[in-house]
Amino acid sequence: MVSTQGSIVDARRIGGPMRQAARSHVIHIEGATTQAPNRGEVVVSIEHVSISYTVGSGKRKVIPAVEDVSVDIQRGEKLIILGPSGCGKSTLLMALGGFIPISGGTMKVNGRPVSRPSMERIMVFQDFNQLLPWMTVTENVQWGIRKRNPKMKAEEVRERARRQVELVGLSRQADQFPNTLSGGQKQRCAIARSFAATPEILLMDEPFGALDAINRERMQQELNKIWSEQESPTTIAFVTHDVAEAVLLGHRIMVMTNGPGRVRAIVENPAVGRPADDPEFMQLCADLRELLKEEIA
Amino acid sequence: MSAHQTHAPLTFGSGVSAVFDRSRRLLVVLTMFAIWELAVRLGDVNTLLFPTFSAVVVSLLSGLGFGGRPELWGYIWQTLSVILQSFAISIVLAIILTSFALVSRFAKDFLYVITGMFQPLPSIALLPMAILWFGFTRESLVFVVVMSMVWPVASSLTVGSATVSRTLVSLGRNYELGAVGTLLQIMLPAALPMLISGLRVGWGFGWRTVVAAELVFGSTGSSGGIGWYINNSRLFMNVADGFAGILLVIIIGLAMESVFLFIQKKTTMRWGTEAA
Repeated sequence: MVSTQGSIVDARRIGGPMRQAARSHVIHIEGATTQAPNRGEVVVSIEHVSISYTVGSGKRKVIPAVEDVSVDIQRGEKLIILGPSGCGKSTLLMALGGFIPISGGTMKVNGRPVSRPSMERIMVFQDFNQLLPWMTVTENVQWGIRKRNPKMKAEEVRERARRQVELVGLSRQADQFPNTLSGGQKQRCAIARSFAATPEILLMDEPFGALDAINRERMQQELNKIWSEQESPTTIAFVTHDVAEAVLLGHRIMVMTNGPGRVRAIVENPAVGRPADDPEFMQLCADLRELLKEEIA
Repeated sequence: MSAHQTHAPLTFGSGVSAVFDRSRRLLVVLTMFAIWELAVRLGDVNTLLFPTFSAVVVSLLSGLGFGGRPELWGYIWQTLSVILQSFAISIVLAIILTSFALVSRFAKDFLYVITGMFQPLPSIALLPMAILWFGFTRESLVFVVVMSMVWPVASSLTVGSATVSRTLVSLGRNYELGAVGTLLQIMLPAALPMLISGLRVGWGFGWRTVVAAELVFGSTGSSGGIGWYINNSRLFMNVADGFAGILLVIIIGLAMESVFLFIQKKTTMRWGTEAA
């Protein structure tokens, strides 16, 4: 895996308190406090959240998907939700997006309870087909900006869209329709649209999960770069089951237990944005893999 | 490399193949017309009952104003205005019915049952009832044409809406589109391939129905469009004019097919939501 200068800078951009916490990775095991001291402004507050599905005839059978999850997300932080398949990590993200209701606890963004989908919390889906097929790359990004800022002047919308399209490396494809793009290019466009809409928090549900290994690594590096080049760093909650992806991207990594998902550990990540052969990066990956193996076993 | 660039080398080959296809089809049509002309001229055919192709073309051109009184334009407009009005009414009705079907299980079942009932019924069979209710008026024509168009359009719109990607619907919810916003900005464009195919089928049904209904009106002596013109030509034994009317029905039908194909090429085929 090749690291870029941009992503190393990205790790250094973390504010003083975060850098302090990032000197060594600290694993908070279940039951311990999930809120690191001296952190920045809390954007998302999740307290004792449980989520259940009802199935069967008459929807009588209740299946718990997520149980008693508590975590805060600070402004400008990238929190990774890591766990084995079926642990409820995507369910937690969908609930944070307001797409599904929670069955217990509280979930707040900027102090307001999450009740429905909102442009405060923009989702980047795993599905490549999240772009509007009848719009070009630029038009898709402009659509997101216009929805978020209906009164913004057309010139400003165009300029902001152009900047985001350039940032994700799609300037040459700016006037192409999504059907002419590769999977990776489609995800870049979706990311550009989401960043351009300047949400309070960006929710990313395994956006690179369906990409091939090479493209996935490139996209991970580029996400760090795009994040660091925003005017003010965007808060991100990112779901993945890929340990290396989690360590490369996340300032903190929340490891979930096998379903129903609980918080197994919250890990401070000093290796965010570092190359894969960095000793701390490798050590943390190994530690996290051990945690996940225990869960699967 | 983008898929667009990857497709580029294929364009030349498919373009050449399309030219050959068109040339071959044109040859078939010209051969048919030549056989028609020669068979009538060389065979023992009564031209009063079956005119030559050239006589039909002369009659058609004359009716369009090339060497005669341009009377055909009036008939064309009469028929087109009925079908266009019916088309507009059908589209609005189909959107309303589909919208209800999307939000209400009862409305969905209602639409399913009523489409199943009326789809197999040739709506021209409703013309006697329409004449009873509305008389020999334009409303009768519009009624039967709408009844032939609305069901295939509503049916394809419902299927199209039901197959819209859940991710796109979630995207609409995420960007806080209301019910109308979701319908106009997500559902309709996403369902456009099915919608266009429904409109195409609806237009085909409507076109046949309007000409057939005008023929019935023609037999009763009321003034009307191309169907009426064809029937009138029979009454006055102007068979070449009658054939010109039939040719006109075919030409307008094919022209509308081309319009739908043009719309598809500019929209759904360009977006890749429908195979070219």
